[in-house]
Amino acid sequence: MRFWHKILLSVLALFIAALDVSVIMVMKKSWQLNMDSEMQRASSEQLLIANNIYENLNSIQARGTALTPILLASVSESYGDYYHKQGIYLQLWENERMIYPPQKGQFGKSDFGKDGQPESSDERSIQLSTQLPAPYQHLLLVYQRDISELFNKQQELNRFFVMINWIVGPILLLLLYLLIRHLSKPLKLLSETSKTIAEGDYTKRVQLRSKDEFGELALNFNRMAEAVEQRVTELSDMAEEKQRMVDNLAHELRTPLTSIQGFAEFITTANIGQEEQQTAGGYILSETLRLKNLAFKLLDLSVLRHQPLAFQQVDISELFQAIQQTERPKFTDAGISFHVHHTIPNVWGDPDLLASLLVNLVENAIHASKQGSEIYMLAYDLDGEAVLEIRDTGTGITTEMAKRVFEPFYRGDQARSREYGGAGLGLSLCRQIAEAHKARLSLNSVLGEGTSIRLFLQLYNNCPPTL
Amino acid sequence: MANILVVEDERAISDLITMNLKLVGHTYSKAYRGPEVFEILEREKTDLILLDVMLPELDGFEVMQRIAHLQIPVILITAKNSLADRIKGFELGADDYIIKPFEILELLARINVVLRRGEKGTSSFICDNVEVRYLERQVLVDQTPVDLTVREFELLEVLIRNRNIALSREKLLELAWGYDFEGDTRTVDVHIRQLRKKLGWEERIKTIFKLGYRLEVQS
Repeated sequence: MRFWHKILLSVLALFIAALDVSVIMVMKKSWQLNMDSEMQRASSEQLLIANNIYENLNSIQARGTALTPILLASVSESYGDYYHKQGIYLQLWENERMIYPPQKGQFGKSDFGKDGQPESSDERSIQLSTQLPAPYQHLLLVYQRDISELFNKQQELNRFFVMINWIVGPILLLLLYLLIRHLSKPLKLLSETSKTIAEGDYTKRVQLRSKDEFGELALNFNRMAEAVEQRVTELSDMAEEKQRMVDNLAHELRTPLTSIQGFAEFITTANIGQEEQQTAGGYILSETLRLKNLAFKLLDLSVLRHQPLAFQQVDISELFQAIQQTERPKFTDAGISFHVHHTIPNVWGDPDLLASLLVNLVENAIHASKQGSEIYMLAYDLDGEAVLEIRDTGTGITTEMAKRVFEPFYRGDQARSREYGGAGLGLSLCRQIAEAHKARLSLNSVLGEGTSIRLFLQLYNNCPPTL
Repeated sequence: MANILVVEDERAISDLITMNLKLVGHTYSKAYRGPEVFEILEREKTDLILLDVMLPELDGFEVMQRIAHLQIPVILITAKNSLADRIKGFELGADDYIIKPFEILELLARINVVLRRGEKGTSSFICDNVEVRYLERQVLVDQTPVDLTVREFELLEVLIRNRNIALSREKLLELAWGYDFEGDTRTVDVHIRQLRKKLGWEERIKTIFKLGYRLEVQS
């Protein structure tokens, strides 16, 4: 059963029950009041008749005439005839013998209750009996009044009431239906939207602008959907990156393994000369070294991920000097000039890791640069942060590539990178080092104009960073 | 036998393949990048292309699309093991697919299958005074037919197709007898002895200690 069904049915049932109960109670009260007034009228009328008869009898007796039953009957008849026209029936009994009306004997003495008590032997009439005042106690006056008109009225009211019920019920049902449908519309909207989202369309939002509880719910719902969408996107991006890394790792492993396996097989099984044996052996050696390099780089990445760093003050001029020394032969070979400049004396960090990061970046810059170009290594203060920057005027990369360069095994130029013996892990390692320093690593590159990579570290004069 | 173009950006793998091709008597040319393929195809008559999928500049699938009109058989070589890639390769008209790391013998076997399918392989093999005609399944020594059993001929063909490479007894059983043969490896010894005697190849078919047998032919 739907919620709006429940509301509709319960409101309808409650309303009809309340209406019916109150109407029935009102009708009952009015019936009682009508009955009371009829009864009062009947008893006063009866009293009047009884008094009149009494006075008639008194005057008859005063004239000295004996009270014979015939006389009594004629006295009663004069009243009976008169009241008969008004729907009132009179009877006069003398010692359990009915005197008036003659011939008729419907009422037995036993039918009457105590003096003055209303008796309703017939449902549609009021019947009262009373003894005449002394000295005529032996005479009993029975008064019967027809009230079927009252019953008819009541019945008509009942019929009308049932009819109203039949008419009002459906109208109420229709109005309630429209009202509830209108009020529960936001609920339906929310339900439909959540269904779409549950089916996987996380971009869907509830279009609801109202200030009631539903509006609030919709607002919160949209916020939730946004958070879910963001999280899902993050997760799928991460999963994609992981998948690419696994694919790439498989490739990086398979290629040297294929060579090693193949050349080992070649040496043992093939009918070859010494020269070919040496070629094959050389490949086995170089490919094994490549695997070793890969394994160590991966190990470095994993160690960085799990080991906290011991921070210390790193002297920039020492750091830069060490890098200049190790990289000098490569610059000379490539015919590139290397410019070093720093305006800050020291930073917080791990000197070995920072050196490793700079070496990686500098070598990338060398590989991207043509002969005769320049590479800069800079350290300066930018808005309260220490910045280490490597800038080249080399080939640069596209925006799409820039998004992926920090992924493991991603290579800007596959063939060239392999010629240099790279495993495609250099920038991933840099990213890990930056993360271990809680530092940002930002890359700006324009295709054909060059690249600059900046590492934002905490300044030397601040407290050591807490991890 | 056949002229084969090897397209592979990894020098080590490229050399590994070509050195083995040379052993069994094929000629070859090498391309390290996609675009080089077109120049070589224009210059040389090529019977088969061994094509790496992950190539710099132009990947293997794109290369295949551009050379489809030449109708040269292609065997794809790749580290990718995904079904989608394999299907894509076959849809583009690849004749076979081999996944790194592969065994050289397997690669050679696949090359032979593809060459035979296109009848691009040579129909006969001549060495010393022995001539082997594959189509007629006939062996001539000094122009005189020699009677070989079916198994002996199969074994001889396997040895020739993988010449200069040592084949273990198990491998020979697998290649000449088929996977379901449940014979002893000594069966191989018996057949080798028969071949040597019938062809006078006591020196050509060498026993390699601990490995198996090798047909030695200077290429």
